[in-house]
Amino acid sequence: MSAVGKISLRGGLLPRRGARERSRLLVFNHAVLILLTAFAVMPLLVLAFNSVKTNAEIGLNPLGPPTQVIAENYASAWERGDFATTMGNSVVYVVATIAAELVLGGLAAYALARRKPPGSDMLMLYFLVASTVPVWMYIVPLFVQFRAWGLLNTMHGLVIVYVAMNAPLTIFLLRSYMIDLPGELEDAARVDGANEFQVFTRIVLPLSKPGFLTVGLVVGLGVWNEFFLALTFIHDPSMFPITTSFYKFTDRFSRDWALTSAGAIIVIFPIVALFLALQRQFIEGLAEGGVKT
Amino acid sequence: MALLANKRPATFAERLSDPGWRNRCLRNVIVPWLFILPLLLIHVVVVAVPAVQGVYMSLTDWTGFREANFIGLENYRVLFFEDEAFAEGIRNNLSWMSFFLTVPFILALFCSSVLAQIKRFGMVYRSLLFIPYVLASVVTATIWRNLLSPRKGIGAALADIGIAGLDIPWLGRQETALMSIAFIDNWHFWGFLMILFLAAMQAIPPALYDAAKIDGANRWQEWRHVTLPGIRPIVLFMFMMVAIWSFLAWDYIWILTQGGPAGSSDVIATHLYRNAFLRSLSGYGAAQGVVISIFAGFIIMIFVMLRRRGWDI
Amino acid sequence: MKQFKILFSIAMLFLAISSAGAQDVTTVTMWYPDGSSAECRADIIAEGFNAIDPAVHLDIVLQANTWDATRVAVVGGGGPDIVRTPGPSFVYEMASSGLILPLDSFADEMGWRDTFFPWALDLGLVDGELYSLSDELETLIMYYNKTLFAANGWTPPETMDELIALAEEIEAAGVTVFSHGNADWRPTNEWFVGEFMTQIAGPHNVYKALTGQIPWTDESMVEAMETLDMMMERGWFGGGVDFYVTNTFDTNLAALGSGEAAMNIEGTWRFGNINDFFGEAADNDNEWDWVSVPSKTGEDLFTIGMGNTSSINASSAHPQEAAQVLTYYFSPEVQAELLAACGKGPAPVHLAEDAMTDIDPRIARAYADLSAANADDRYGYTTWTFWPPRSDVYIYEEIERVWYDEITVMEYLEGLDELFAEELAAGDIPPIPAR
Repeated sequence: MSAVGKISLRGGLLPRRGARERSRLLVFNHAVLILLTAFAVMPLLVLAFNSVKTNAEIGLNPLGPPTQVIAENYASAWERGDFATTMGNSVVYVVATIAAELVLGGLAAYALARRKPPGSDMLMLYFLVASTVPVWMYIVPLFVQFRAWGLLNTMHGLVIVYVAMNAPLTIFLLRSYMIDLPGELEDAARVDGANEFQVFTRIVLPLSKPGFLTVGLVVGLGVWNEFFLALTFIHDPSMFPITTSFYKFTDRFSRDWALTSAGAIIVIFPIVALFLALQRQFIEGLAEGGVKT
Repeated sequence: MALLANKRPATFAERLSDPGWRNRCLRNVIVPWLFILPLLLIHVVVVAVPAVQGVYMSLTDWTGFREANFIGLENYRVLFFEDEAFAEGIRNNLSWMSFFLTVPFILALFCSSVLAQIKRFGMVYRSLLFIPYVLASVVTATIWRNLLSPRKGIGAALADIGIAGLDIPWLGRQETALMSIAFIDNWHFWGFLMILFLAAMQAIPPALYDAAKIDGANRWQEWRHVTLPGIRPIVLFMFMMVAIWSFLAWDYIWILTQGGPAGSSDVIATHLYRNAFLRSLSGYGAAQGVVISIFAGFIIMIFVMLRRRGWDI
Repeated sequence: MKQFKILFSIAMLFLAISSAGAQDVTTVTMWYPDGSSAECRADIIAEGFNAIDPAVHLDIVLQANTWDATRVAVVGGGGPDIVRTPGPSFVYEMASSGLILPLDSFADEMGWRDTFFPWALDLGLVDGELYSLSDELETLIMYYNKTLFAANGWTPPETMDELIALAEEIEAAGVTVFSHGNADWRPTNEWFVGEFMTQIAGPHNVYKALTGQIPWTDESMVEAMETLDMMMERGWFGGGVDFYVTNTFDTNLAALGSGEAAMNIEGTWRFGNINDFFGEAADNDNEWDWVSVPSKTGEDLFTIGMGNTSSINASSAHPQEAAQVLTYYFSPEVQAELLAACGKGPAPVHLAEDAMTDIDPRIARAYADLSAANADDRYGYTTWTFWPPRSDVYIYEEIERVWYDEITVMEYLEGLDELFAEELAAGDIPPIPAR
């Protein structure tokens, strides 16, 4: 949508936004964004530098570019960190958690945002209060329960823990995306004989797609980077998540920073790829809506 | 419901035999609750039930190993009347909260508003600005520990080219340690807020912007009267969540300073971890966990009151 | 929605596949801390043991953050057959809660009383019964950059006074005296507190204080802590306390290796990777060596520490087989092999005469000297092995308040004395071998 078209439609009724003002603003916007982006990226550049240095060089020169590139760090990190196993496991944890979370959380958020059954307020209060409890307070009782139910050392057991721990944030975020949706479409669908589930899947779900994407991203990242719960509930290395791979490079009082940095890059890579893929969806949503200037 | 109001209250049996009531009840109560139930059930089992046991532990002398003896409110008495370090921890939590309720929100609101107007490179900026959020805390913390190093970090590099004064041990001084950690955590965190706000901005119906334009709104007025109200629920909600999370702050502090130097960056959660896992005082640690929940409860109450007044949160 | 369903079914399929599998032989599990040398250790232990008896299979799980996971699991009634803790004070808690088994009958049956040094076996006693076996014997020594010392004509000091005089010389030469720092591991502080207590107040005074015969506020302790505080104050520890708390192990060792710093008081665990910072690996021509930490009297004193302990889980279905694993693991042959191949600090067992022939002579000398020090009463105490848990945390956290001039040395020691008295009265004290 070109700005010129709009302006010409409005004719003389509105004060014109001059092209010069517009381009000044554009320059300002880009300048600010470039500055902030540099702030976000610079430390990562350091990480990338360190991932191809020797440990001795990291000790002496922890910031600058490497004097010689040790690309083998990546191969060693991949092998010693057993990333082939742990990355696959983490993908399973992330996908299963996101799937369960979005389905169950989406249903719950829909009910809370659009149907508001009696008791909704109490329920929200419950989720809020529950999200304030630090995990160390209940990790031992939770372990005892899980052991009794045979959920220890199983991938679905850990997924259940993740789904539960992410539930409050999921419900609240999704609800906040759904709450402002116009109700007419739903009513129309109901008049057409759709049941509640169909209203949810056909009307509300497509309309709150950005919300679902965002929540999926947030929950997925949380699971991808989680460590403490995974080690508490999983005791079989064939089911360990990717975060445990970092610790392959750590001894009691020392850490192989070269390999840890290379490992860190290996860990971020899939996430960045996924984020870029999701970004395309965001952009599509943007194009469909034709929002803003 | 308005129809029923004119009649005498129906008895339960009468209601049950009324097919219309049954239907409404099914549609407005039972089905919505069936939608909620699965996740609620999982959450109760994984969080609520064990947490209640945790609260009980705060009334005992549990070491984390042995049988626990009930000692009433003794842990709380010690906590509030004898533990001076704990009071310092609470103060640090409050500083932490005031940092996180301002800096990341200003950054994220500003940046998402700017980004929403930009088409060219918009995706590049977004991805790059969000990347810090994907890093695990241990990685972020360690990169920044090096960057803030007084000898090898940015400050030292700047001092070499003549910009002195920044080559101080940021994490080593009691006055700067806590805020330096907050700065690092925020580097990682604010992109997340920005993405949330952006997603909310995308959900604002374009018609509202068109209407504003027709009304002759300038950019600021457009932002003030269309964008901000449109994203207000998520902003307020995140305001509440960040306030709550401020009391749970732990990982960056533990990795970077473990509460030091000399306790200057200790918060309630670092005390909790230390007591429960290092000092064999799990009951006492549980009491500190309850205190975290109570503080967060205050925050929630504030927002519940705002909601009662008709705010959409 | 459809996409969700597909994703979910794929995930469930993965889960179904991953939970399958079963075993026939008796399996003994052991959780072992993960790390750079962990694979090397696990291979030697598991492959060696599993070659002996086909009916018993040892399964070693390499795991980060082992101790937090272990304690939650064991307290929750589960966990591995062999329970490893970071030190005797946690053994005490687990033993008195009935979470681990007494080992006396196994010790008699399997000859552990001959394998271990008697004092080392005593460290595992709780109320007179044996509950744990100590592993990874360690001590603190003073590393120095030998090349740097030679170039400046410095000689390694033997007494505390010589150390102070040398430090002034090193400082005048523009070199950092000690490349110390605690940014990676705050409890690093306790290395120095414990070391200065032993070296300056003397091991006999520390013993008396640990057994409640003299208070921690004793004059000798005050002197020890004043000396430590003086060194910190003068910036000898990594350039002053605010630098000290931001220095990481990597930068410390790189500084020592490159000659930016002269010395470093550290544990024998550092043998594992110190060579990364000297010579070809680090692109310099420097060499390292060590001497015992200078004492007030000039006597060579070595503090003793244990990296961790091993016990048998009370909920283990196969305690007998677990004991067989312990017997194998703690055998002098396996310990010697672990030391030679993976640089693991040996358990306090009688190693064979020739066990040290294949390793770096500097490392061999350290373990030989430590043994000798134990034999002729020149040993001291590390805080993480001999102090009860709350006093231990106090030691490394509150000393920072002294260094930041919030409290005096006397106030620090009074606080320690009060806390220690409480724990002593409650009986939460690791066993202190009589001297």
